[in-house]
Amino acid sequence: MPVLNAKALTVERSGQQVLKDVSFSMQQGQVHALLGGNGAGKSTTLLTFLGFLTPVSGSAHVQGRAVSENVSAARQAIAYLPEAATLYGHLNAYENLRYFLSLAKTDTDRRALDAALDRVALQAEAREMRMQTYSKGMRQKVAIAMAILRETPILLLDEPTAGLDPAAIDDFNRLVRDLAEAGRTVLLVTHDVYGACHVADRIHLLHKGELVGSFDRPSGMDRIDTEAVHAAFAAHAA
Amino acid sequence: MSRILTIAHAEWRLWLRSRLAFGALLITALLLTSTSVVTALRMSEAHHARIHQQAVAEATFLSQPDRHPHRMVHYGHYVFRVPPPLSVIDPGVDSVTGQSMFLEGHRQNTAMFADARASAELGGFEDLTTALAYQLFLPLLLIAIGHGLIIREREETTLVPLLAQGVTGTELYAGKGIALVGLSLALLLPLAVMCAVAVGRGAAPLASAGVIGLYALYLLVWCSLILLVSSVARSRSLALGILALVWLGTALIIPRIGVESASSLIPVPGKIETDLNMQAELRAVGDGHNASAPEFRQLQADLLAQYDVTRVEDLPVNFRGVVARAAEADLTEVMNRHAEERMALEAGQARFAASFGWLSPVLAVAAGSRALSGTDLATHHRFLREAEVVRFDFVQGLNRVHVEQLAYGDDINRNIDAEASKRTRMSAENWNVLDEFTFRPAAATERLARASTPAAMLFAWLLMLAAIGALAARRVQP
Ligand SMILES: Nc1ncnc2c1ncn2[C@@H]1O[C@H](COP(=O)(O)OP(=O)(O)O)[C@@H](O)[C@H]1O
Ligand SMILES: [Mg+2]
Repeated sequence: MPVLNAKALTVERSGQQVLKDVSFSMQQGQVHALLGGNGAGKSTTLLTFLGFLTPVSGSAHVQGRAVSENVSAARQAIAYLPEAATLYGHLNAYENLRYFLSLAKTDTDRRALDAALDRVALQAEAREMRMQTYSKGMRQKVAIAMAILRETPILLLDEPTAGLDPAAIDDFNRLVRDLAEAGRTVLLVTHDVYGACHVADRIHLLHKGELVGSFDRPSGMDRIDTEAVHAAFAAHAA
Repeated sequence: MSRILTIAHAEWRLWLRSRLAFGALLITALLLTSTSVVTALRMSEAHHARIHQQAVAEATFLSQPDRHPHRMVHYGHYVFRVPPPLSVIDPGVDSVTGQSMFLEGHRQNTAMFADARASAELGGFEDLTTALAYQLFLPLLLIAIGHGLIIREREETTLVPLLAQGVTGTELYAGKGIALVGLSLALLLPLAVMCAVAVGRGAAPLASAGVIGLYALYLLVWCSLILLVSSVARSRSLALGILALVWLGTALIIPRIGVESASSLIPVPGKIETDLNMQAELRAVGDGHNASAPEFRQLQADLLAQYDVTRVEDLPVNFRGVVARAAEADLTEVMNRHAEERMALEAGQARFAASFGWLSPVLAVAAGSRALSGTDLATHHRFLREAEVVRFDFVQGLNRVHVEQLAYGDDINRNIDAEASKRTRMSAENWNVLDEFTFRPAAATERLARASTPAAMLFAWLLMLAAIGALAARRVQP
């Protein structure tokens, strides 16, 4: 049974079709990347899996169940990192994590919080500071830490590496592979071709709401062929 | 449930950390404390002053020397409306109606202001009462702090992560609601303290509890309105604008319209106009000082027949006193009829203006608060009626002395015969016909009953806003 399944998704926003007949599915432990230019419909796809948008035709399934049937079950199963992750500026990293995790009914102690913040390499001295003093990359790290602390079987990450420095991006890519090896299913949105090729088992290329190509990591290889993806991406951008 | 409380708790933490919210809270706390202290001091001073003035007036009356009883009728007496204990919260009509009255024979005077110097001393600040602070300023504070409750999460894009944790719109709405209601309840604390103090000074516990309940209901109405606007408005500034307009409308415009339309639809003639209208009827009664006036011929004939004598000099009672007594009774009947008509008009006007409470919770709470505090128009009317009873009783008491103890012969010769004049001076012991006057507002149950319509208005508002809110909550979307 696929963990995530998009069946001929067609989604409208403000009367415009922004997803057209999009289908793909993911098995447990896989990492997929949605790649595409601005406005291609990548974020829209994630929002549809979370039930924030309802398809006009087709359906989104989480763990075999249609999202429209049980939105809260879908949200319970998914840790979601929104695009431009926003947390509360007047709270510090611990307080933000505790607040959102308690709303998700996830118990966490201080040690678990620190372990997650260690994994995203957030400086220890910043953790007690209000997040309004954080840089974009630091905020992004806390948001990633929150996604992994949820300990959900599925992670939907919208441009998780935005604002991260190259070293942090490497850390992040390793983290995603670790999560997948631990059996978690990760769908991430990016327009970073290089990063996607390194971390994903499969890349879906989205253009103007339509899936225009997909690229698999050949078995035995540690990454997808960057050149081919680049060429396809550039062809559509032109 | 725990999620709802978590959300409420997070909101309180935000308020404590936000300089704006914290500052607003602090200013309000100061405002509430200072107005409460000022109102309490003023009303308790008025309370003591009027009790004292009442005692002085009674002592002065009783200490008058031996006199002709009719001179005492004209000497007159004062009564004071002592403000009830709960007036420390809501002085109500106290500052616009008179609180004292000069009582004398043959006239019903207008109520006068007992303490004219108070307002000069406080430089107008006395208009800001605890009741007004709660009715007008607390909603402003709740608006300032609460208008962004839900729209803020949307504008700062924290709504998506919130809902992505599985929080439902209803849970979010309820959590934010509890946060604001909790704040409102905390802000009721100064009021509760004032009520407790008032109970200590003899206020009815039932009425005091009613005051707290009424204001709690009122603040709940504002909380649900603020929450609703915050969840449906497209931006924070729009929410603030809408709420500010609602405040203006309910606090200033609708009350104004209510008063204006009440006074144009139900005009109440002024006291002078009423008195002029009454003049003809009063003249028909006759002048009680003139026993030979034609209006009293029938009375004279009846009395002579009753005692089987032919001359008034032979009557066992003083005919001049009998005439004074009869004239007073007839005059009073006319004056009371006109006074009741006037009060009925005033009450109708007040009722009409109060019916605008269906449109403005501010009007509703104001009416309920005055009724419960015992400072509404109905209470003032009660004072007028009770004062009239005192007036009539002491005048007729003096007239009875005139009738029964003063010889008719001495009475008619008092201006030509010094000895007779001396004999018309009745002993000062007779001045104890005066009853002690202590004004008390209506019983607590009666005041609660009078406040039930305003409370129903607020309840209707709350129900409506909560019902719309429940629908809006389910549609909270990023
Ligand atoms: N809140 C919104 N309301 C209406 N249209 C939107 C909204 N957000 C995005 N869109 C439109 O939907 C389309 C897809 O957007 P999105 O999924 O955010 O693209 P991206 O691939 O950059 O994440 C775009 O055409 C965008 O203009
Ligand atoms: Mg996007």
